[in-house]
Amino acid sequence: MFLNQLDLTTALRPSLLPEETLLFVQDAVGLYEGKLKIPQYQNGQAYLTSHRVCYVDHSEPRRNSVAIFLKDVERPEFYAGFLKSSPKITLYPKPSKQLTRGTAVATGNAANTPDGRGSPAPAAIPSVSATWVCPICSFSNPVPSNFDPATANARTPLPPCLACGIKPPLVHVVKAAISAMSNREASTLPPPYSAGPSTTTAAGSGNQAISGSGSISCPRCTFQNHPSLASCEMCGASLGSATDKRLDIAPEIGQAASPGPSLTGPLKDETIQSIKFSFRAGGEKIFFERLKNALVQRKWLLQSAPPIPKPRPASGSFEDGYSANTDAPVANPERSKVVGIAGLERRGLEQRKNNEAMIGSAFEDLEALMTSAKEIIALAEQFSSQANLGTNGSTEASALASQSASALGLVTTKDMLGSGSESLYVSELSRNLAEWLTDDTRGILRKEGGIVTLVDLWAVFNRARGGVELVSPADFEKAARMWDKLKLPVRLRQFKSGLLVVQGRDRTDEKTIASLLAWLKELHSSPTATTALWDVQTFGKGVTAQETAERFGWSVGVATEELEMAEEAGALCREQGLDGIRFWENWLVKMPFQSLPT
Amino acid sequence: MTTPALPPGPSPTPPTAASTPTLAPSLPNAPPTFPFPPIYAFPPFFTLQPSPTTLSSQLSSWSALIQSYCRHHRIFALTLVDALATPLFNNTSISRKLSLADARRVLNWMASAEGGHRAEWITTGKGGGEAGRCWVFWKRPEEWAAVLEEWVERTAQKGSVVTLYEISESDVTRREEFHGMDGELLSRSLGVCVKRGKAQIFGGEGSEGVKFF
Repeated sequence: MFLNQLDLTTALRPSLLPEETLLFVQDAVGLYEGKLKIPQYQNGQAYLTSHRVCYVDHSEPRRNSVAIFLKDVERPEFYAGFLKSSPKITLYPKPSKQLTRGTAVATGNAANTPDGRGSPAPAAIPSVSATWVCPICSFSNPVPSNFDPATANARTPLPPCLACGIKPPLVHVVKAAISAMSNREASTLPPPYSAGPSTTTAAGSGNQAISGSGSISCPRCTFQNHPSLASCEMCGASLGSATDKRLDIAPEIGQAASPGPSLTGPLKDETIQSIKFSFRAGGEKIFFERLKNALVQRKWLLQSAPPIPKPRPASGSFEDGYSANTDAPVANPERSKVVGIAGLERRGLEQRKNNEAMIGSAFEDLEALMTSAKEIIALAEQFSSQANLGTNGSTEASALASQSASALGLVTTKDMLGSGSESLYVSELSRNLAEWLTDDTRGILRKEGGIVTLVDLWAVFNRARGGVELVSPADFEKAARMWDKLKLPVRLRQFKSGLLVVQGRDRTDEKTIASLLAWLKELHSSPTATTALWDVQTFGKGVTAQETAERFGWSVGVATEELEMAEEAGALCREQGLDGIRFWENWLVKMPFQSLPT
Repeated sequence: MTTPALPPGPSPTPPTAASTPTLAPSLPNAPPTFPFPPIYAFPPFFTLQPSPTTLSSQLSSWSALIQSYCRHHRIFALTLVDALATPLFNNTSISRKLSLADARRVLNWMASAEGGHRAEWITTGKGGGEAGRCWVFWKRPEEWAAVLEEWVERTAQKGSVVTLYEISESDVTRREEFHGMDGELLSRSLGVCVKRGKAQIFGGEGSEGVKFF
């Protein structure tokens, strides 16, 4: 399955997997299968996340949305566009899925034979092939064979440089290992574009290959060309045509974008040779740049990785906040069992030491912080929850704010969006907001009684963003006003006084009035503390905005507006007393006095 | 819904059948208590509503109440400032009362075309300023004219001359609705009769007589 079903959130954005982060969004994107346009997938938004490339259709988002897992992507290819042909990014699926097809015939044999490659520099065994260059003396050292970039953290033992004896920075080795890994995978699995029955010299050295950074090396002179170039910058040899001949699926240069033929018949997953994203409104360069980075970073590998190898044997079975979510805690048999208070104290001590070491190493430099971001975020959240427990002042807003770290992955920021189009930013923000509001785990609207003023919402939203990428009030209002247009499940409502509030779409004025009246009906029979002067059985009781706010969980401003709305609709009437305005059932209309017998 | 829940105590006495005729009908504290409608005990009734539809319903209720009250107590004109203290505008049982401004609004509404011209401000002297006194037409002058003609017909006084005093104050008219009628209003009503050609007024100031044909 190269194309996968895509789950959408309520706001019609892709629902992200755990630890998946949004990298880029671009609108006005169409999809091609090979050379053919895929009907009904011609105008939508492309979402690039750390794990997937998603297409969400503009008009039929629920039906026509697909996701491509980056782990299934063999390589991306960039086509810069020509005259009326839009720029495109082609994604080729991993060839393992295509072994039965003709493209793999050239290589012929099993997937794991590394004979296709033959670059002389690294040794034959893949695990030793990675080298890191010492930043001090620039000596090329081998990466240790047991080094796994996915699980490495600051405490992973690293051998010093063989020449000068200085320990390398962790991130340096991680980078080297990852780039070696991507090279290795690209070559161990037979890529569809390589090792064809070409007339070039040897199968090995002459290959045009995509290096880790995504550039194409010239088949003739091996110069590393930018992927968007059609011919070699140095010798002029054609880069794309060679690929074309063998693959028959690469983008044909100069092909017209829009009038191109469409795919007829249903899209069969097995036959997909490549999926092209056509960027009709720009944004392709940044998209490709970030796509390449995402392919290099391979965040999806981290998803299943065990979090931290514990440095000390005694700390092997911590049950604290951040290691609790590991699914396989390593049982350590030789750990001495200490029970009772001493055991608890010791565990606390070990945990603090562990935290200390982690924080110490994480803040050594920024890049190290990046590599262990996951652990640090978990730690920060744990600290903040402890701090809240201590001060006992955990209001809802601060609770929301403390969730911010995990919410960071969801936010849409301006630099995530292509072509700097203001409307895309606003519409994304609008979806983002709607999603955030309707998120049941946060229950923002529910806590506010289903209705919240726009100003309050703005404040809470910006707090939840944790002080980065704050949204300006103008953008916020624009985004809120787009809910109606985007058919999102929340709506912006303006009261008579001009107050803007946000509420669920299902919550109409009629429902509000009905619930108000039901409440007032209840008051008919309720025994009132003060002996009422009037006939409570008949007229019930008047309510103030304050009481209404308490009853329905609204803010007082909202309660006032809702009561006045009901009054406007004729359901309620008011009584101006010394203690302010009270609202009553409208007996003035329901029980008028007309008797004038003549 | 017309007076659905009348208090059982004082029987609802129609004004014409008052068993104890009052000598001073303009005083509001007439013995048979007026049966107030239930809405009179509804606290918001004493706050004029901002919502237009509710307000118009409320004003017509007020108008009906004022007319019924005045008819019951034979009040032909209200002095606003004095009337505010009366039970009409002041419900002591629920300690709510209509403010002066709101009462004025109610009466203004009654005087308007929308309120059916059931009230009219009395302009005193040449200044023409509002003296805070107004007619309450639980019968308009035209209607009074009809009542008077009917009375003349019934008592066979056609062709004979009656004084205005006789009409409003004499014992003969004690059981009639127009007994105790304000002189000014009476002459206005008779003026309507004259215009219709049913009566003729003659005599000097203070001792006018009227002859019905």
